[in-house]
Amino acid sequence: MLGFWSTVRFVHVLSAMVWVGGQLTITALLLPVVRRRLAPDLRGAVMRDVGKRFGTFTVAVFVPVQVATGVAIAWHRGVTWESLSEPGYGRTLSGKLLAFVLVMLAAAGHGRATRAGELGLARSLAMASLVGSLAVVLLATALPRT
Amino acid sequence: MTLTLERRPPEEPAAERPRPRASWHVRANAVVVGYLALTVVAVLAHDALPVPRWLAVHLLMLGAVTNAIVTWSEHFSVALLRAPTPSRRRSAVRLVALNASVLGVLAGVTTSHVPTITVAASALLVVVLDHVVNLVRIARKALQGRFARTVRFYVAAGLALVVGITLGGHLAVDSVPPGDGHLRFHAGHVHANLLGWVGLSVLGTLFTLWPTVLRTRMVEGIERAARACLLLTVGGLATLLAALLLGHRALAVAGLGLYALGVAAALDPFVRTWRQRAPHDAASWTLAAGTGWLLVGVVADLLALATSPSLGRYLDRLDALVPLLAVGFVGQVLLGALTYLLPVVLGRGPTGFRSVSAVLGRAWPARLVLLNAGVAVVALPLPDPLPRLGWAMVLASAGGFVVLALLALTGRARSAPSDRAANPALAGVALGLVVALVPVGIALSGSDDEGTETQVVADGSRPVEVTLVGLDVRPAVVEVPAGTRLRLRVTNDAVTRHDLAFADGPTTGLLAAGESRVLDLGTVETDLQAWCTLPGHRAAGMTLDVRVAGAGSHAGHGDPAAQGSDAAVTDTPAGDVPTIDFGATPAPGWRPYDATLRPAPGGTEHRLVVRAQEKVLEVAPGVRQRMWTFNGTVPGPTLRGKVGDVFTVTFVNEGTLGHGIDFHAGSLAPDRPMRTIDPGERLTYQFRADYAGAWLYHCSTMPMLHHIGNGMFGAVVIDPPDLPAVDHEYVLVQSELYLGPAGQPGDLAKMQAGARDAVVFNGYVGQYAHRPLTARPGERVRFWVVDAGPSDGTSFHVVGAQFDTVYKEGAYLLRPGAGRGGAQSLDLSPAQGGFVEAVFREPGHYPFVDHAMRDAEAGARGLVEVSP
Repeated sequence: MLGFWSTVRFVHVLSAMVWVGGQLTITALLLPVVRRRLAPDLRGAVMRDVGKRFGTFTVAVFVPVQVATGVAIAWHRGVTWESLSEPGYGRTLSGKLLAFVLVMLAAAGHGRATRAGELGLARSLAMASLVGSLAVVLLATALPRT
Repeated sequence: MTLTLERRPPEEPAAERPRPRASWHVRANAVVVGYLALTVVAVLAHDALPVPRWLAVHLLMLGAVTNAIVTWSEHFSVALLRAPTPSRRRSAVRLVALNASVLGVLAGVTTSHVPTITVAASALLVVVLDHVVNLVRIARKALQGRFARTVRFYVAAGLALVVGITLGGHLAVDSVPPGDGHLRFHAGHVHANLLGWVGLSVLGTLFTLWPTVLRTRMVEGIERAARACLLLTVGGLATLLAALLLGHRALAVAGLGLYALGVAAALDPFVRTWRQRAPHDAASWTLAAGTGWLLVGVVADLLALATSPSLGRYLDRLDALVPLLAVGFVGQVLLGALTYLLPVVLGRGPTGFRSVSAVLGRAWPARLVLLNAGVAVVALPLPDPLPRLGWAMVLASAGGFVVLALLALTGRARSAPSDRAANPALAGVALGLVVALVPVGIALSGSDDEGTETQVVADGSRPVEVTLVGLDVRPAVVEVPAGTRLRLRVTNDAVTRHDLAFADGPTTGLLAAGESRVLDLGTVETDLQAWCTLPGHRAAGMTLDVRVAGAGSHAGHGDPAAQGSDAAVTDTPAGDVPTIDFGATPAPGWRPYDATLRPAPGGTEHRLVVRAQEKVLEVAPGVRQRMWTFNGTVPGPTLRGKVGDVFTVTFVNEGTLGHGIDFHAGSLAPDRPMRTIDPGERLTYQFRADYAGAWLYHCSTMPMLHHIGNGMFGAVVIDPPDLPAVDHEYVLVQSELYLGPAGQPGDLAKMQAGARDAVVFNGYVGQYAHRPLTARPGERVRFWVVDAGPSDGTSFHVVGAQFDTVYKEGAYLLRPGAGRGGAQSLDLSPAQGGFVEAVFREPGHYPFVDHAMRDAEAGARGLVEVSP
């Protein structure tokens, strides 16, 4: 039951959990506390540090793991380029991939905007990335059924 | 310098004196906003309009955009060149004339009234030429400054519009060259107007407007960029238009490529200005997004032009790009410009300026995201209902602007609350939701396997998905345990309209393509049946059976007395089917179908309008049926021409069902011209008659048996070369009648069984026995015969005459003289045609019949009366 491929799937899901859950935790739990408890200058520094670490995790761990395990699972399942356009599993997977790319773009934009000091834009993009990653999860849950 | 217009810097004291120029611009802009509002209405009222897409595009482009360009290009020219203001009266007259002719064009095309279109389009041409002359005059009078080039953009744009209107006018009245002239003119029209009139005007204005809207100085080298842009875009556009009209693809690609380079040249200062000061408000972001769509549109257009296998396919793709360009680029640039300009012309003094700005800027990030996401969703090839959703987003955004602009124009919102800081988190959530729509839409697109099953078992836990595809209901059978509460979600996946109605039960009503509705059948105890009530569809198999496990078939279903009320939803005959009295004579006042075949009209092009009309006609003395016809007669009008002639048929569906048309006389890909169109729609069907013959044309909509069997057919006669003149030519189209109840369409079940009630020439039992065809002794008569069927052939014979000439299916089987042979009958299968010639030597009454005597005695007979 617990074979090689279930382990690969586990790593894929775990990594996604950490990333999406991390975003949710920061936005929904950490941010309000930091806002209330910390002075503005300290608040900025803390959030920048948290953001930096999250960014490092994203680039160094999350994206490589998701891409590697995702490609492996797709290969194992016999997904081909042509099958991506077929209704059902193929299109759900295509939608999920596209949503993933858009989320990554939003996350990258968030980092850029933070560095450029455009905090309003950065916040918008962070929220867009969060909502988008929920869409990825939604589509992921739709995959096994199809 | 920047474009200052009349705007005073906010620091300046407010001007209390009313300013005539401002009110002039207020009025001009109010007209623009009015057209925008009408565009929104036209899109919303889509189903109620005769040419909805055309109307929406032209209300926007010809109404709103053209007014804006004519007004503002004059104003900018004056402002930029520091030229004396031209006569206000002449400008006013021009605008009034412009709008009168625009309304004329809109009304003319909507009502298909050719004279109105011609007059209005010509007036429009004159107005635009006057506008161009006016611009040239302004430029002449002015000291040539660094902005003279902007005026050249406007002049070139105006000239492009002259080309665009000319092509559009020809398209509207259908006077285009034969062959693919329609396609070439259409492609030229779209490009001249979108890339020429609007594109050049916008590009020229952006050089100065962009820094002004961003409130920053102009970057270095802007004149050089403008010069390059002007040369490339104008040169490219001219090449493109010429190449499109000549049908030269490679040259067209080159021209469009040059134009794209010109846009790129304009982007250079655009981006450098952006770097200097990024967009920060509604006007600047809207303009930036609009410009982005221009770039996307031109590149997509270039790709489509370079890769499409044929001009027809390219036009399909171009049509798909039109919303992107019209809404994303043109509409959005217009919104951006209005957002910037309305406060300038409306706001009196700094507070006024700010309050109008605040009104127009309300919720702008949401509107911006909504509009652009909507355009993206509409432009991408996504499945329903996403495009509808995209249009809803576009409309919500544009409608929002219109409301705000009207508030600003009427001065209702002067005491608006001050700009609230936008909530970035909320904007982010909105952005995320909108962005997630496309991938989720892709994932959901395409049909699940569920829909293709022919039988499903329902347990009542959720609605059963039922789809209507082609002439099928999927699933065709739903099994339920007795006592289940059954709900069906019925979706019309066909390209035409259908419904699904239960006997004595709920009905979906007519569903347009893509629509769906839930039917609640309540608790089901007995077997039920539903079907599509459109004529013929039930018989063609569009039925759904609900089977109750363990229940007897139909036993106890409903009150037997109530079965009579099925008439409304059933298409099986209800009411008495009339019987034909083959000995009866028609009532006085009856007029036969004129069998005389007139010579082909001169010229090599034939244009005509064929209308599908459903009409109660008499088919035998005292027997009336609801016939489906072309132009109100059975058979439809006979078309005649010579080999090589081009026929351009505008096919209009004035009936209540979907109809189509198929001309055997031409060869072309059936996909588009023979498609079924819904009531109120029209299509253009163009074919060249490459071969001579007596050809059938007929309705191409399924079930074709029903549509042809109920009267939708006619003949096209293409004369063989050197066809000798004769004394009389008659055309006889033979068909069968399958009577339905009086005043109802024919009975499809009878057609399927081959149980015809009568066989007729030109649609009426014994027609020419009652009103004989005529000839004089010694005259040569040519009978053109086409067998329309739908199912039986003919053996055409004239009693007492011999044929010395027989022409069948494109070849002479017999000609006079050679071998002294003669013929007694012309045999034709369904959808074949030909002619025979005979000389009647003696006075007398010569019956002509289908010599299959069964048919002759069932109405396929007539007389030739030969009298001195």
